[in-house]
Amino acid sequence: MLEIKNLHVTVDGKEILKGIDLDIGAGEVHAIMGPNGSGKSTLSYVLAGRDGYEVTKGSVRFKGKDLLDMSVDERAAAGVFLAFQYPLEIPGVTTMNFLKTALNAQRKARGEEELDAVRFLKLVREKAKPLNVTDDMLKRALNVGYSGGEKKRAEVLQMSLLEPSLAVLDETDSGLDIDALKTVAEGVNALRSPERAMIVITHYQRLLDYIVPDVVHVLSNGRIVKTGGKELAHELEKSGYAGYGADAA
Amino acid sequence: MSEKATQKLVETYRGAQSALPGAGGWLARRRETAIDAFTQTGLPHRRLEEWKYTDLRQVLEKAILVPAPAHDGALVLPELHSATAFSAIDRYVLVFVNGVYQPGLSQLAHLSKGAELCALAEVLHEQWAKDIVERRFDDARQAEDIVDLNTALMSDGACLRIRKGVKLDKPLHLFFLGADAGASHTRNLILLENEAEATIFETHMGEVASFADIVTDVALGEGAKLNHVKLQDESSEAIHLSTMRTRLAASSKLSSFTLTLGCGVSRGQNFVLFSGEGAEANVDGAYALKGKQHLDQFCVIDHAVPGCTSHTLFKGVLDGASEGVFQGKVVVRPQAQKTDGRQMTHALLLSRDAAMNAKPELEIYADDVQCAHGSTVGELSKDAIFYLRSRGIPEAEARRLLVLAFLDETLELAPHEDARDALKLLVSDWFSEAGL
Repeated sequence: MLEIKNLHVTVDGKEILKGIDLDIGAGEVHAIMGPNGSGKSTLSYVLAGRDGYEVTKGSVRFKGKDLLDMSVDERAAAGVFLAFQYPLEIPGVTTMNFLKTALNAQRKARGEEELDAVRFLKLVREKAKPLNVTDDMLKRALNVGYSGGEKKRAEVLQMSLLEPSLAVLDETDSGLDIDALKTVAEGVNALRSPERAMIVITHYQRLLDYIVPDVVHVLSNGRIVKTGGKELAHELEKSGYAGYGADAA
Repeated sequence: MSEKATQKLVETYRGAQSALPGAGGWLARRRETAIDAFTQTGLPHRRLEEWKYTDLRQVLEKAILVPAPAHDGALVLPELHSATAFSAIDRYVLVFVNGVYQPGLSQLAHLSKGAELCALAEVLHEQWAKDIVERRFDDARQAEDIVDLNTALMSDGACLRIRKGVKLDKPLHLFFLGADAGASHTRNLILLENEAEATIFETHMGEVASFADIVTDVALGEGAKLNHVKLQDESSEAIHLSTMRTRLAASSKLSSFTLTLGCGVSRGQNFVLFSGEGAEANVDGAYALKGKQHLDQFCVIDHAVPGCTSHTLFKGVLDGASEGVFQGKVVVRPQAQKTDGRQMTHALLLSRDAAMNAKPELEIYADDVQCAHGSTVGELSKDAIFYLRSRGIPEAEARRLLVLAFLDETLELAPHEDARDALKLLVSDWFSEAGL
């Protein structure tokens, strides 16, 4: 599904990613752990296509195509989804309107029929219910005045509605209490499927108790320094990142 | 009075004087006083604080100042959505072409009982018209001095009087079309007696190099309610100078909203004077400018009595090399306790060459009041665009969504539901056409 080869990325002239290799197959959930400043968020932004992240070397192929050649919205329509660490507040655009515009834009880009208001409403309600996203939230401006937990639930709702093939969850656990974390993790787990790959980026092992990964990578100073099974997360919890060429964070 | 434009305007007055409405009566004397005052002060220029960003003297230097010819023949509306924006709303229509009332094109059948509507010339014998014309607002004199020019040269306009307790059953639409290049001086007089209510739409459009000078004098009696929606979509050669002066008696309410989608150089002035307690004034607007358009919104709210509420919000987007100006002042007099006054302006620059000058001011002499003012100028958030695009929304659509969302807050304040929907559609079209 996703093949990253020798990926080097600079931001403002500074090299942040220094040769990443990563191969993720359909149905797999990979966790990327690492201390602050190791390049975790940079990796997620490069995959989503944010401006200001310059790929100086290497390649990223998604479903056999050159991902780096595609614009931000083309990547989304092709099935890449980034759940933001800090979802943006968009005053004046209701969550409902945003979801409909996004879903129909993707359907249009893929040559599928756009959903009319009635069908869309039915679909969004069906997806919103298990995530405790209320009609009231859907009517409000996107993420405006949402609590931390509401923002993350809204991100998972977007993911559930857009049904990406590759979901990148950037520090989805940040700012969540344990109950909110459980709701969000349940939402994510419900989306696990043999056709879908996920990258779960996190600083702490806590999230991985709820979203159990198939593979864990440790990212440090722009490189993947260790790869292992889910037990690697527990090791890190005990030893910290000190042994991986970075300060204990 | 050395500079050319002032001189030309005074000459125009001397030439037209005997043919202007009200010759030989009180208005003729009033016109004389006005032209003398105008001759003394001349056209305003940028050395005056109130006109710092819009040098009217310089603007009119190159303008056609002689009156536009009387228009005959069929009415040809510009092919703009604005021309038909309010068409679906059941309303009375009063059409002015080149500043001249066109009874044949107007629809006034069955005006509510207790409502009187006529052209300026027909109302001059009435005392209420005289009272309203002779009224003076004390504050911001320099901004208001330009009214003298209008008083001297006013040749036509819509005059509406609603009797006590009467509610105008349908909105009244004043449609001003500039069909030929040249000047027009319009004076509208609106009197809503106690507890009277009315909704007025105003459309200004044209595809010519017009100079439209409009003064609208409004008096609201106790408990009266006026909703006002103004739409301006003129050519990039048009010069638009409008002044609305509203005096509010106790418990009356003004809700005025202006949408500007097209203009060359435009100065819109709003003066609100509270003369009775418990009144409310909302003076809001939205604009979308491109090319070299220049729009100056000037707004003075005078809380002369206690317990009144005012709200002003102007939001606009500026593309190309357009220029926006907002100058506003909320004055709270010493006796005006329990005033609630708010004045905000926000602008979004869509291009590096666009500019915005904003100067909101508060002058507070009372201590038990709630007042706020503020101003922001910014550009579309790159992060927000990225966020929307990361969900599959193409860049152009993302920008459009964000800009419309930005304007939506103020468009929501337009005081008539159907008109509000019409304005929203126009704004949406504007963005499609501007290719943003």
